Amino acid sequence: MLEQAKVSRTAYYSLTRKESVLPGSVRAIADQLSVAPSKILIEAEAAERRAQALLRIAKKVIRKNPEASFENVWHTLMLLEEPPINRLRRSLLRGRALDLH
Amino acid sequence: MAAPSIFTDRERKFLQELVRRDVEFMIVGLSAAALQGAPAVTQDVDLWFKDLSDPGLLEALKKVGGVYIPPTGSTPPMFAGQSVALFDIVLTMDGLGDFQEEMENALDFRIGRVQVKVLRLSRIIASKRAANRNKDRLILPVLEDAAATIRERGSDS
Repeated sequence: MLEQAKVSRTAYYSLTRKESVLPGSVRAIADQLSVAPSKILIEAEAAERRAQALLRIAKKVIRKNPEASFENVWHTLMLLEEPPINRLRRSLLRGRALDLH
Repeated sequence: MAAPSIFTDRERKFLQELVRRDVEFMIVGLSAAALQGAPAVTQDVDLWFKDLSDPGLLEALKKVGGVYIPPTGSTPPMFAGQSVALFDIVLTMDGLGDFQEEMENALDFRIGRVQVKVLRLSRIIASKRAANRNKDRLILPVLEDAAATIRERGSDS
């Protein structure tokens, strides 16, 4: 099995001797949040899958509308992930900040 | 991401009071576009009222400590008071049908505990095209890209 996976025996036994194979940073964050490290990894995977799905939509929009700006399309997709009230708040906050300058 | 603290209970309360009194209005302009997901920035929330003399409007204002300032020869009608400082009054929309016609096609959006009518993005685009001011021409590509994205996301989900 190790041979098929192209993993050396040394590497394998080195892993088995470790308390955890997860990066220390993941364990530290999980510890701070009082959750299992696997929860963070699962959420990170879900976020990545969602980002990939949105990227596919963005590419489709650009393919159908070559004159469209990727930035506009991507920001719209990001905003659509939020509740409408938050979209409005962001818009107002930026608008009012611009007015100050 | 934490929601920024603007458009809080104070503003929602005003909308709630308007709805409670059956005042006919809808959110229009860039704030309406933002609610629908367009990455547009704005300083105010434009409200298009069917009838500014609706007694319910004055009652709602009174309830939240706001006042109505009627138009003069050189100034438009306005609201004054902290609770309504974010709101602007719109009387007509360039390039669109009358209030009732647009209201029938408006979208429903929930803001806090209140459901309000919001002018459709396609109609906001039509209005910006008709107004054709510099600032309208600048925002039009953003709105059009947002509309295309919303269509695609809708058909994708």
